[in-house]
Amino acid sequence: MDFHVDIGPQYEGETVRKDDMHVEFGGPKVSAKFELVTLKSPDEVEHEKVEVIGPDIKDMEEGSSHPLAILIDIAGEELEKDMEPVIERRMHMYCNYIEGFYHMNQRNDIWIRLNKSSFKKGLDSFKEIGEILIFLYTSELYVIEKISITFVTDPDKVSELLPEALKVYEARDERLRGLKEDDVDVFYGCVLCQSFAPTHCCVITPERIANCGAINWFDGRAAHKLDPEGPIFEVEKGELIDPVRGEYTGLNQVVAERSLGTYDRVYLHSAFEHPHTSCGCFQAILFYIPEVDAFGIVHRDFVGPTVIGETFSRMAGVTSGGRQVEGSCGMALELIRSPKFFQADGGLRRVAWMPKEIKERYKDAIPEDLYDKIATEEDVSTADELAAYMEKVGHPWILGEVELPT
Amino acid sequence: MATTIVVAGKGGTGKTTVSSLLVQLLSQKGVVLAIDADPATNLHQALGVPLDQTIGAIREEMTEAVMRGAISPAVSKQEYLDSRIMAALVEAKRFDLLAMGRPEGPGCYCAANHMLRLSIDRFGHNYDYVVIDSEAGMEHISRQTTRDVDILLIVSDVTQRGIYTAAEIKRLIGEMRTRVGKICLVVNRSTNGLPPEIEKAIESHGFELVARIPRDEQLSIMDVKGLPVTDLPEDSVLRTAMRELMGKVGL
Repeated sequence: MDFHVDIGPQYEGETVRKDDMHVEFGGPKVSAKFELVTLKSPDEVEHEKVEVIGPDIKDMEEGSSHPLAILIDIAGEELEKDMEPVIERRMHMYCNYIEGFYHMNQRNDIWIRLNKSSFKKGLDSFKEIGEILIFLYTSELYVIEKISITFVTDPDKVSELLPEALKVYEARDERLRGLKEDDVDVFYGCVLCQSFAPTHCCVITPERIANCGAINWFDGRAAHKLDPEGPIFEVEKGELIDPVRGEYTGLNQVVAERSLGTYDRVYLHSAFEHPHTSCGCFQAILFYIPEVDAFGIVHRDFVGPTVIGETFSRMAGVTSGGRQVEGSCGMALELIRSPKFFQADGGLRRVAWMPKEIKERYKDAIPEDLYDKIATEEDVSTADELAAYMEKVGHPWILGEVELPT
Repeated sequence: MATTIVVAGKGGTGKTTVSSLLVQLLSQKGVVLAIDADPATNLHQALGVPLDQTIGAIREEMTEAVMRGAISPAVSKQEYLDSRIMAALVEAKRFDLLAMGRPEGPGCYCAANHMLRLSIDRFGHNYDYVVIDSEAGMEHISRQTTRDVDILLIVSDVTQRGIYTAAEIKRLIGEMRTRVGKICLVVNRSTNGLPPEIEKAIESHGFELVARIPRDEQLSIMDVKGLPVTDLPEDSVLRTAMRELMGKVGL
């Protein structure tokens, strides 16, 4: 194929500064922009067709910003609906293969710039960009049998198409949020905090976000891909030993290596026996309250004593340092949303106390019938008061309604 | 590969003035990324460009967005940061500016800072020069960038405290994982050569490469008017001295 500019992976990572920019599409100055790959039946896709709706690059003023929708339709016998996001993600890479054409982000956040030098070389039409992309897609992904690309630059048309695309993205996110530990073969480990806690190895699964709350399973995957030698690494989960407590052979092995032999077993979903270690970086602490045989949760911003009379920082001293401390676990607040939240110990239904701020923030994650039965600092201030409160409101743990999974 | 220059020194010695002129003069040779690592954030004023958002604010926003569950699981936080940094970049003629902003509050920033480091380091590869106007301390050099420093310019005024701080910075950087090429002591606002006491202090701390910059009355007038440093006339005393300094360190 003969194009006006050079194409290849050597152009990846190259940015286009405003100074060198001929035009840009999307980005912070433009509200409507997106790219979307849709799987269609073969008769709906006219192979290698490139269409431009609205003004083309050559009609645009130098230095201007424009809305843009890129609609890619694909067909192929072996293609599945689940592959749409993966194929869509290739746009980023392929666009960046084009000399002087710079692509950032994805979905409805795309930001594309074309530099002056490539424009001068003759890359002045989406027709050609479409041809290049089709060339790259079909030569790298044989499963794509038919492909067509439509570039929409007409502002009204882009705004009109956007809501449909947003619905597609939202549906995809829903699927991702529902990802389970059983659905994947690898978890991720993170030892970013080992300078503070040398025996701490954070385990990140689709149902367990890192203690700091900053790294979920998808971040782990992205970080590992970007920097395979970095502090975030793949953990082959191995055989499932205990589905309730969340114990895996591969995981035990990695934890033994990374904790310098200090621990050789870890339960992902229990606060007892072999609980997950804590660095110093957790957002919150799950703590055992012996008087009521239930748990409390306290977060870093909570000032003053908790229901057991200790402050967050006092408790953090006990919890932190990369040790397995029974009944005292550092955690991310988002863990409250996990279906596996300390499931072996009774999960959320065994939580008796948390600060009001957290209770309100996670209202949608707490079962409706449980919400009013969890005490806050406004309801009680000691463990004895908590016991009385639980009796009064009929907390399910006290009533013996919570069955521990086996 | 970008040449990285860090400007450090005691507060009030003129780091930002030196940095801004350096950015301006280097941008005549290549494309420059200026990083304002001082929480006071005024390099943009010295350069005469507007500033919308700091990296500190982006970090806070991300933390908050994570809490709300507002970041799509399909978008990695690294990618989110990359794009936010790109959007926060001040793009001027032949140079871009990033301001680090306020340091972090309580809580854990290990992961966020690690991701920021990666973003900024990768980002810097697209430039010929990276100039970092640092805060008085040097923590950010290891915290916010892992890049090696080619030239460390330590700015002092004509005071024992300035020289002492410069020596401390030199010692500190030796303890960090950052590798440093040349270290140059810049004595700012010196008029008629250096007093013997200062000469002696410089010698006793073992500074080899020393440059002097005279006081520039024109700058004082411009500072009063609130004009950018980069508006100094071509032949100003300060700019001439900066050119000499650059020749001395091989820029």
